[in-house]
Amino acid sequence: MNPSELTYQIIDHAADMGIIVQAADIKDLFMRAAYAMTDIMVEGDIKGKPVRRELTFEGEDLPDLMVRWLGEVLYLFEAEKLIVRDIEITSISEIGLESVLNLARFRGGRHQIAREIKAVTYHQISVERKDGEWEARIIFDI
Amino acid sequence: MDIKIKKIDEWRYLIPKTGAMRVPGLVFSSPDLAPNIKDDQSLIQVANVATLPGIIRYSLAMPDIHWGYGFPIGGVAAFDMDEGVISPGGVGYDINCGVRLVTTALMAREIRPRIKGLISELFKAVPTGVGSRGRIRLSRKEASEVALKGALWAVKKGMGTPEDLERTEDRGAMRGADPEAVSERAYKRGHDELGTLGSGNHFLEVQEVREIYDRRVAQVFNLFEGQLTVLIHTGSRGFGHQICDDFLKEMGTRVSQWGIELPDRQLACAPLKSELAGRYLSAMACAANYAWANRQILMHWTREVFERVLQISPADLGMELLYDVCHNIAKIETHLVDGRQMKLCVHRKGATRSLPAGHPSVPERYGTVGQPVLIPGDMGTCSYVLAGAQGAMEETFGSTCHGAGRLLSRKKAIEATKGRAIHRELEDRGIFVQSRGKTTLREEVSEAYKDVSLVVEAVHMAGLATKVAKMRPLGVIKG
Repeated sequence: MNPSELTYQIIDHAADMGIIVQAADIKDLFMRAAYAMTDIMVEGDIKGKPVRRELTFEGEDLPDLMVRWLGEVLYLFEAEKLIVRDIEITSISEIGLESVLNLARFRGGRHQIAREIKAVTYHQISVERKDGEWEARIIFDI
Repeated sequence: MDIKIKKIDEWRYLIPKTGAMRVPGLVFSSPDLAPNIKDDQSLIQVANVATLPGIIRYSLAMPDIHWGYGFPIGGVAAFDMDEGVISPGGVGYDINCGVRLVTTALMAREIRPRIKGLISELFKAVPTGVGSRGRIRLSRKEASEVALKGALWAVKKGMGTPEDLERTEDRGAMRGADPEAVSERAYKRGHDELGTLGSGNHFLEVQEVREIYDRRVAQVFNLFEGQLTVLIHTGSRGFGHQICDDFLKEMGTRVSQWGIELPDRQLACAPLKSELAGRYLSAMACAANYAWANRQILMHWTREVFERVLQISPADLGMELLYDVCHNIAKIETHLVDGRQMKLCVHRKGATRSLPAGHPSVPERYGTVGQPVLIPGDMGTCSYVLAGAQGAMEETFGSTCHGAGRLLSRKKAIEATKGRAIHRELEDRGIFVQSRGKTTLREEVSEAYKDVSLVVEAVHMAGLATKVAKMRPLGVIKG
């Protein structure tokens, strides 16, 4: 991950926490959202032997696709203790996404859990183009 | 959307029916608490829930209401079994998040000098936070057993007694659980998280009973002033989160085929009569059972730590379960509506059941006084025990509040505590805290929550539950 890709704002939600991510194109938007979520969950240098995964799935529309995408990243972390290092989104449409992920295995000594995310919610989810730029708003259940 | 509220009396506030709302909203609050809720989006959420098909009487909110996702936290809604729906978002991701109060025969003053040692041993014995895998690894077959049997599974493994089951809501196992209704993903997330506390607002707290409000009921609950108690707050962990997630997605894609229009996608739901609703209820019960097993196991480890650290016999420790309640759940219950008994699906999202004396679902030993209602506060103030009351049956489908309710967002709490050492502040006040996450204590600081005493006062005055006892923390472990 290039550090410049790690730009996001935190949404002030009473019980939980959300993010606003912006990018020039839709692939970047999805990538940045995944990096932002990882940044909220894990602290520490994400190094280690990379584990490669291909991830392909479908959704109803872009907001649904975003919830499912981040849900996949969260699942990989919780079920397999894999953290996103690099993402290549090979194709994306309104209803489908194909990607190749480079992940690192979570190690207690090297990484620290910053915050538990229980789920990626559909609450007030939006993925839209605003003034020529893509923007996504996502709220997590913490 | 601008929400209008009409004050009915000091404890009740009506949101009149407008737009797509099928019923009005009714918020239980108080003159002290009401100004806070006007500032966030939780009242819009009360109104949104009121638009769901088959909702009965009111979209309800308890005094600890705050902005959730889909349903407000502190929301209660009952649905007609024929016309109504079930919404996984109305239960929440943490299915059967709940609390368990354990009493002891010890006096807090005897333990206070040893609290640091006790808390640090509890912190070692009870895995907290994410990434902390539990001491238990479940095979796929065992996980199905947990999903089916709940707390009984733990008791059969030697982690508890049959009396513990008597003192757990639904005897620690919800009926209708079907392990086959649960996805493999949920089993994968849950396989190493049984017997873990989790993070966020979850905790294990060693407390002292500081005040008794109702001596008769306290005697039945075996609570006395100065007594040492332990309160455990956790839920179904990744197992439940994944089940909620799976069904929200499935319902989200199918909701339009039932002609249901949603004001918020998080309210995705299915008609109670549909096959999908039945499957969700079966999977939800599995998560509820996982949570009861989880709290049962954590209680058992707590008992072991106490016996070891204090070098005390089980008889002298006298550790007994008072009660275990869930506060994120949907239940099929019978309630009196307009003079007739109706079977309803009651959603409680951040709300506790509050059954009065004589109700058939109250354990026999509490039959004359009502169900113990456990209300945790934040780590720096106090928690309460209440007793279920008839008013809840009449007004809230047998429900009351579940906690303090957040006031500040996590971000604002972090800003407000900049440069402060929260653990030291608490220690100065005699509360010893150990936590895993770097920012947990700042996010969970007392100022981030409503005053739990005001919340409890509001439900007491509205007749939704009656005050029995107040406890103050001596030591807390958090994720």
